[in-house]
Amino acid sequence: MPELRKDPVIGRWVIIATERARRPDQFASGVEKEELAPGEKCPFCQGNESMTPPEISALRKPGTKPNTPGWEVRVVPYMFPLLHPEGDLNRRGHGMYDLMDAIGAHEIVVETPDHQMEGAPPAAQLAKVYSVIIDRIKDLEKDPRIKYVLMVKNYGRAAGGGHIKHQRVQLVGTPVNLKRVKEELAGAKQYYGYKERCVFCDIIKQEVEAQKRVVMESKYFIAIMPFASRFPFETWIMPKAHSCDFYKTPKDMAADLGQINGDLFAKMKKVIGDFPYNTVLHTAPFRRQMNKRGYWETIENDYHWHLEILPILTRVAGFEWGSGFYINPLPPEDACKSVREAKI
Amino acid sequence: MNELRREPVTGRWIVTYLDRIPTVKDFKIESNEKKGEATCPFCWGKEDQTPPEILVHRKYGPPNSPGWTLRVVSNKFPALRIEGELNKEGVGVFDMMNGIGAHEVIIEAHEHNRDTADLSYAEAEQVIWAYVSRSVDLRRDKRFKYILIFKNYGKIAGASLEHGHSQLIALPIVPKRVQEELEGAATYFSYKERCVFCDMIREERDEKERIIYEDEKVIAFCPYVSRFPYEVWIMPKRHASDLTGLDRDTVPCVAKALRDTLLRIKKYLGDPAYNFIIHTSPINGHDREDYHWHIEIMPKLVKVAGFEWGSGFYINPVPPDIAAKNLLSVKLEETK
Repeated sequence: MPELRKDPVIGRWVIIATERARRPDQFASGVEKEELAPGEKCPFCQGNESMTPPEISALRKPGTKPNTPGWEVRVVPYMFPLLHPEGDLNRRGHGMYDLMDAIGAHEIVVETPDHQMEGAPPAAQLAKVYSVIIDRIKDLEKDPRIKYVLMVKNYGRAAGGGHIKHQRVQLVGTPVNLKRVKEELAGAKQYYGYKERCVFCDIIKQEVEAQKRVVMESKYFIAIMPFASRFPFETWIMPKAHSCDFYKTPKDMAADLGQINGDLFAKMKKVIGDFPYNTVLHTAPFRRQMNKRGYWETIENDYHWHLEILPILTRVAGFEWGSGFYINPLPPEDACKSVREAKI
Repeated sequence: MNELRREPVTGRWIVTYLDRIPTVKDFKIESNEKKGEATCPFCWGKEDQTPPEILVHRKYGPPNSPGWTLRVVSNKFPALRIEGELNKEGVGVFDMMNGIGAHEVIIEAHEHNRDTADLSYAEAEQVIWAYVSRSVDLRRDKRFKYILIFKNYGKIAGASLEHGHSQLIALPIVPKRVQEELEGAATYFSYKERCVFCDMIREERDEKERIIYEDEKVIAFCPYVSRFPYEVWIMPKRHASDLTGLDRDTVPCVAKALRDTLLRIKKYLGDPAYNFIIHTSPINGHDREDYHWHIEIMPKLVKVAGFEWGSGFYINPVPPDIAAKNLLSVKLEETK
């Protein structure tokens, strides 16, 4: 009998189709080979710095100059930004509709100077990447037009990645609070209002007791496959200690995050090979006007930042988009067992 | 400068490109090459490969044999099971229930290669009637709360079989997006005492920039707040909250609007994969003043990336007025 499971935070129902399940290792789908056009060069590689707009920041070896080789992690503006950094929002109406100019930040964090690493950079490199991202978000907080910074990684075509596979992450600073983020915040607030506990802390506690969906733990973090997973091998990495803002993570914790993230990918690779995926950071919006209308006082207690890793191994049909109703052909318990037991 | 547009029902924001608008050839439209009918379980003569028919239109022949023109059967690999109790239970912070529901397939024509876009108006009408009558029947089952009708056309839109078919899932819950849409519409109504969708229709008719079909009963347009390039919504012009309330005069208009829109998409964009979803009220037995049923058609031209997953923040590279103009440039031959 298939099961309907409800996500305790936002209330989304998911069908876990237990009977149709393939074995976990049968979900491997592979990532297409990179095909560069004749003469095309990767703009993200060391040595090709002039192909991108000038860097915003970089983690560099001492003595190297901006926009030259010698960097380890490099942040540049997006070549064709969705949101432009200069100008006013010009909020206005159009008949019954509301609109504004697309102002904000759109940056690329190049995670490594070396080209084409499969999956994800190794743990030590990821530790550096997270520390650079934290600094970028701290900097973007200074821009009062930006309400939220979305960190997203698209790897592989099926996950919306470009034809160049060089490992990179996008940062998008938006002038509005995003729908999905608001929903999650509202769900967490509601739970807190009822129980006076953080729903994510409760999830962690329950998962640690049950030990059915915990993939791994590090000093500061836990990786679980959620009870109501939308996708096979969907995994969330959460800080064990309650915290609502990713960008306030101290450096030693950022290093630990890199470690668990790197180890998780190494284990997943053993089970499903190189796979297309999205990583999305879920964190609280900036709270510059904490005392003004529209913000609640409990946000620091009720919300818990985390990383969601969404492998794209099955085709997500349009009806899942349109209805917010997902069918997951692999129970998270089975996926979790196979990844947990993988040896690295 | 790109624009950020706010969708008035659910409040989601959409980045609408105004800077670099792609043309058809910029979209890599995957060919919809058909493998053929040899192994297709939906063609004439393969009736024994599906569960028995629930509803059928036939020219001749006994049940579950060739001679039909439209056929509704249970999905052979249902996501939900029809028999059993829901057995709702809680496990700590988690809630769950058994996967009870109905999962049916509407095979729209017996020919292997005919999609909704290729049907005659009369055939398209049969399809709409099948949606209505299956919905009316399943609404009687007290376990169900919502009936989701949708179509996946083409592999990348999630179709597992190439023979044209739509699907119906009766659910014991109201899906998340539907709930959100209902709540958004209710909020708008409580503020303005008008239906947000009726307002949208008025706005579109005033502006006349994005309409691609209109008759006495039905309108189709590329919404101002399109999430996807060439997205089209079809709505009854008169307020109606539920698909099952459709009358004899309106069904042919809905069929015509759907058929013509899909044909325009097929001809202009070169047979892309697409999804359509019927958005209608949950099963609760009363008419809503604040909700308006409609069909949303979403051609699959762009890969939806993590950005959209994680944020509910969409990027639409083709402004809807340009999409409408392009779709209207397609010449449709007069057919019956």
